[in-house]
Amino acid sequence: MLDILDMGAAGLTAQRVRMDTIAGNILNANTTRNAAGQLEAYRRRFVVFAAGMPEDPSKPGVRVAEIAKDTSAPRRVFDEGNPDAGPDGYVEYPNVDMAVEYVNALEASRAYEAVISLMDVSKSMFNSSLRLIA
Amino acid sequence: MFIERLLNQGNAPLIERVLDFTQARHRLIAENVVNVSTPGYRQKDLSLEAFQAMLRDRVAVRSGSPPGSVSFDDIRAELEHPRRGTLFHDGSNRSMEGLMTAQAKNALMHNLAVELLKKQFDSLENALKERVS
Repeated sequence: MLDILDMGAAGLTAQRVRMDTIAGNILNANTTRNAAGQLEAYRRRFVVFAAGMPEDPSKPGVRVAEIAKDTSAPRRVFDEGNPDAGPDGYVEYPNVDMAVEYVNALEASRAYEAVISLMDVSKSMFNSSLRLIA
Repeated sequence: MFIERLLNQGNAPLIERVLDFTQARHRLIAENVVNVSTPGYRQKDLSLEAFQAMLRDRVAVRSGSPPGSVSFDDIRAELEHPRRGTLFHDGSNRSMEGLMTAQAKNALMHNLAVELLKKQFDSLENALKERVS
C-alpha cells in the first residue's frame, strides 16, 4: 500500500515539470533570440507524459517521457523598425499562446492538487488498516 | 485450529475480501489519477458490482453448506477499462471529478470494512477473556 505514495510522488514530480515548462513558455512569450543572442524565435515547449514509474516503466505510475518543441510556425508581426525584423519588415515571435498556457497551468495545478488529496486518502486508509493490529 | 475456525466464520472472511478489493481498487484509482494527463492512457478499474455479485453468490452457497467448507479466498475482482465519460482526442476518457468521487467512496468502504473487522476482533477478544468490556 505504501508504494501508492511513491506513485503519488512520481505524479507530483511530473506535474511540477509540466508547470516549470509552462512557466518557461510564458517567460519567453516574446523572446526573439536564442541563448547565444542570435536571431531565432523561442519555440514553445510541452511535456509528454508516459505511463510507468521513472525508474522502472513496468511499474504503475507516470513519468515525463520527453519535453518536446512545438514545431508550429512562429507568430509574425509587422514591425519594420524593430532590430529583429526581417527584410520584409516582419518580426518572428514565439508560437506561444498565453490563453493555452494559462489553461494548461490550471490543469497542471488541479492535477497536482488531486494527487496530494490522493496521497492524503492513502495515508488515512493505511492508518485505518493499522487500527486492526494496534 | 480452534482460532482458525473462529476467524473463518461469520463475516470476517467476507470483510477480508472487501479489504483486499478496496486496496487493489485504490491502487488502480491512484494510477488513473497520476496518469490523468498521459496521452492514450486507458483508465483501469475493478468492477464493484461484479465483485459484490460474486460475494453474494458465495454467501448463498455457504448458507447451505456445513461450517468451514466454503472458502472466499479464490474470489478475484475483474479488471475493466471503463468506457464512461467523454473520450478525448488523445484516446483518454479521464474525468478528475469521477476519479476523486470513486476514490472517496472506495476509502469510505475500506474504513467501514476495517471498523467491522475490528468490531469482530473485539468481540472475539471479549469472548476469549470471558468478560464484556
